Amino acid sequence: MSVKNEPAKVRLEGITKTFGDVVANDNVDFTLEEGTIHALLGENGSGKTTLMSVLYGLYDQDEGSIYVDGDHRTFTSPQDAMNAGVGMIHQHFQLIEPMTVLQNVILGHEPTVNGLVDEDAARDDIEEICSRYGFNVDQHLETPVEELDLGTRQRVEIVKSLYRGAEILILDEPTAVLTPQEVDGLMTLMEDLRKAGRSLIFISHKLDEVLQIADQITVLRDGAAVGTVDAADTHEQELARMMVGREVLFDRLSRETSVGDPVFAAEEISVLGDRGLEQVSEVDVTVRESEILGIAGVQGNGQTELAEALTGLRPVESGKISFRDADITETGRRRRIELGIGYIPGDRQIEGLVQNYDLVKNALLGNQTIEPYAKNGWLDWGAVSEHADEIIEEFDVQPPNASVRATSLSGGNQQKFIVGREIGHEPTVMVAAHPTRGVDIGSIEFIHNRLIELRDDGLGVVVISSKLDEIQKLADRIAVMYEGEFIRTVDPDEVTEEELGLLMAGKRLEDESVDADAEPVETDSEAQS
Amino acid sequence: MLDATVYERIGIAVGSTALALLISLVIVAAVGHDPLQFARDLIVGSFGSRRAFSRTLQFTTLFILAGVAVAVAFRAGVFNIGVQGQLIIGGISATLAIIWVAPFLPNGVGGGIALALLGLIAAMVTGGLYAAFPGVLKAYYGANEIITTIMLNFIAIGIVGWAVDGPLRPDDARSVRTDYLPDNVALPQLLFENPNFSIVGLAFALVVAIVISIVMTRTSLGYDMVTSGHQEPAATFSGVASKRMIVTTMTLSGMIAGLVGAIFAIMVQGYFIDPSGIGNYGFDAIAVSLLAANNPLGVVPAALLFGALDSSSSYVQINSGVPVQLIDGIVGLVVLFVAAPELFRMIAKRTGLGGDDR
Repeated sequence: MSVKNEPAKVRLEGITKTFGDVVANDNVDFTLEEGTIHALLGENGSGKTTLMSVLYGLYDQDEGSIYVDGDHRTFTSPQDAMNAGVGMIHQHFQLIEPMTVLQNVILGHEPTVNGLVDEDAARDDIEEICSRYGFNVDQHLETPVEELDLGTRQRVEIVKSLYRGAEILILDEPTAVLTPQEVDGLMTLMEDLRKAGRSLIFISHKLDEVLQIADQITVLRDGAAVGTVDAADTHEQELARMMVGREVLFDRLSRETSVGDPVFAAEEISVLGDRGLEQVSEVDVTVRESEILGIAGVQGNGQTELAEALTGLRPVESGKISFRDADITETGRRRRIELGIGYIPGDRQIEGLVQNYDLVKNALLGNQTIEPYAKNGWLDWGAVSEHADEIIEEFDVQPPNASVRATSLSGGNQQKFIVGREIGHEPTVMVAAHPTRGVDIGSIEFIHNRLIELRDDGLGVVVISSKLDEIQKLADRIAVMYEGEFIRTVDPDEVTEEELGLLMAGKRLEDESVDADAEPVETDSEAQS
Repeated sequence: MLDATVYERIGIAVGSTALALLISLVIVAAVGHDPLQFARDLIVGSFGSRRAFSRTLQFTTLFILAGVAVAVAFRAGVFNIGVQGQLIIGGISATLAIIWVAPFLPNGVGGGIALALLGLIAAMVTGGLYAAFPGVLKAYYGANEIITTIMLNFIAIGIVGWAVDGPLRPDDARSVRTDYLPDNVALPQLLFENPNFSIVGLAFALVVAIVISIVMTRTSLGYDMVTSGHQEPAATFSGVASKRMIVTTMTLSGMIAGLVGAIFAIMVQGYFIDPSGIGNYGFDAIAVSLLAANNPLGVVPAALLFGALDSSSSYVQINSGVPVQLIDGIVGLVVLFVAAPELFRMIAKRTGLGGDDR
C-alpha cells in the first residue's frame, strides 16, 4: 500500500489550532500515503474537521506545517488547496440547489470559448470522469440539484472535486446523511477511487465503517492525535478505547443511601432530531430518587435529543413522560422548570449562558418565573444579584465578579456557574448533559461531587456523558445508548471499561453474565431488545 | 457595536450625527448655497420660535412612539418593518371608533376623555392584530417578517386609502379625508398655541417610552424578549416558548405603532387622511430606533433629532433656497452612518452570516 521511498501524499506536522482559549488541534501529526484511505476517527468536537479545514485552507494553523508530495505548502484559501490537488466534501453540501449538476460541477472552473461557457467541453470532461470512476451521475447532468437525493448529491460533490483536479479527497462524515444502501454505494465508490490511485481521508466517528473501508486509522481525542493504527491490526474494542479514552483515574465511590422511588419516567418515547430523522426510538427511562442514571454513548446517538425531550425543549413524537405520576408529555419547558426538572445543557456557550449578559443577568436565566427573583412578572434584581454572588462564592467562579460578561469566563468557570445556577433551582430531578466537557480537572472533581451530593440529598439525577470514567464513577446504573436506543442497561460495578466501550460501539456483549442483576434493568432495556 | 456600552453608544450616535451634518454642509456649499446660512436655518427652523419648536415637538411625539414600536421588536430580534402599516390601521380605527361612539356619549370634557381613550384602545387592538398576523406567519409558517410586514404596509395604504376616498369620505369634503372628530376629543392646548400639537400628547409618548423601558428591564416578559433577541437558544433553554414570543413581540410592537396613528388622528389632524399623505413615520422610526440602539429611552433624543430635521425642512427651503430633498439627504446620511451598519449587523447576526458579535 504505502510506497516507502516516495514522500507521503500529505503530511501534517505539529498542527496546532486554537479558537480563543479552546484548543481545537494540539500538535497533531498526520500522514496520508498515496493511494490509500486514511480514516480520521474521533468523537464530535475532537478536532477532526478542524484539522481537515486547516489542510483545506479554510483555517490558518497557529503552528505546524503542511506538506503535499513532500513539498512544504501554505494554504491561505481553499483555492490554494485545490490548486495543490486537495478537495474536500463537506458534511453540508456546497451545491447550489436550483442549478443543474453540470453547472454545479463546473462552477468557478468553467471551460470557455471566446468568453462563453463551453458546456459541451465540460460535459465531455465530466462524462469521462464518471466513466473512469464508475459514477452514475452523468445521466443527471441537466437535472437541478434540488431534485436529487442526498446520495446522488454527494456523488456530485465528489465529481466536482475530481473535475477540479483533486488527487486527495477529504470526506467529512460522508455517511451521516446517507441511508444504509447509499452507504454501501459510497463504500464501493471509495474503493474504486483508491484503485484509481486517489488518496482519501475519511472522517467518521463510526467504528464499523472505518474498519470496513480504511487502510490506516488515526484517532483524535480532545484535539490531540491519540495514535495511528493499521486497520488490519486493530479491532473495535481498541478503537473505542482510544476514542473515548481515559484522562483521569476516577475512583468509584461507594454509596450509602438506598435508591428511592421512581420520580421521573419516559415510556417508549421517540424523538426527532433537527434534520427530521428519528434520533430516539421508543426509549424507556426511569429516574428514581437518590439515584444517578448514567447514559453512556458515543456522541450523536440520540443523547442530546433524549435530554431535550426529558427537559421539555423538544417535543416527543410518541410515548409518554411522567413526573411524580403526572403526565407532563405536553408540558412546556417553563412549567417543567417550575416543577423542578433541572437541566445542565450540553452546550453552555449557546444554551447555558447568554454570552453578552453579565453574570447577574445570567443568574436569572431560567429563573424568570421563580420566586424570589420574580413575583407576578416583576423582577427583583436585588435578589438576582445576591443569587449571582452566592453562585460565584459557593462554586468558586473566577473572576469572582458578577458584573463581568459570561463570554469572558473560561469554559470551566462558565460550567461551574451554570451548575451552580441549575442546582440553585432546588430541583427534584437533574438532567446533566456532558457536565464536565472541556472543564479542567479540578472543576471536574468539584462538579462530580456536587452531582453526588444531589443524589445523596434524594434527587434523581441523569448524567449523560461519553466519558466512560465519568459514567462509571457517578452512575448507579448505566444505560448505553446506541443509534437512538438503549441497547443495554448495566451495573457499573460489574462492567469493565472495555465492555462499555464495545456496547457504545453498538456491539452486544456475548457474555450475558455481565447483565446487571438489579431489577431496574429489566424495566429499562430488555423489554425493547 | 451592538454590545457597546451605553456611553460608547451615545458617543457613536452623537459622532455620526455630527459627521452627517458636517458632510451635508459640504454638500450644501458644493451646490452653491451658503452653508452657514443653512446651518442657522436648520436651528431657527426647528427651535427658533415657539411655533417652530412646537412643530418640532409635534413630529418628535410621533417619532418617539413609532421609534419605541420598532425598538421593542428589534430588541427581541424580530424585524417589524410594518410600523407604517400598523399606524395607518391604528389611526383609522381610532378615528372610526371615536366617530361611531361619539353620539352615545355626553359632549363635555368627560365624554372627550372617554372618546380619546376609546380611540387609543381601538388603535392598540387593531395595530396589535395587524402586527400579530405577520408574527403568526413567521412563528408557525416560517414566513420572513421583513417581507410580510412590508407587504402589509402596502395593503394598509391601499385599503385605507380607498376607504377614506370612498365610503368614509363625507359628501362635503374637498380633500380626501374622514369626518372630523368631535371637538371635545382634541387634546388641551397648554404652553404652545399650535392646533396640531399638545404637550399632553408629548407627555403621553414619553410615558409610553418609560413604561416600555420598565417592561424591558424590570419584568419577566421583558427579560424573555431581550434574551430572545440576544441569544434565542438560551432563551428557549430558560423556558421561553420562542414561537409564542415572536407573536407577543409583534403584537406589542404593533400596539405601540397603532398609538402613533391614534395620536396622529387625535392630536395632529382631528380626522384621518389619505394614508399616502401621512409622513413616513413608520420607516423613519427604524432609523430613530437604530440610532438609539433600540433602547426605548434612547429613542427620545433620537426622535427629537428627526423631529427637528423634519420640522425645519420647509423653513430651510424658503429661507436658504436649499431644496427639501437635501434635508431628506441629511436624514439619509445619518441612516447611512449609524443605522444601516447596525441593521445589517443585526440581520447578519440573526441569519448566521457573520457580524462581529461573536
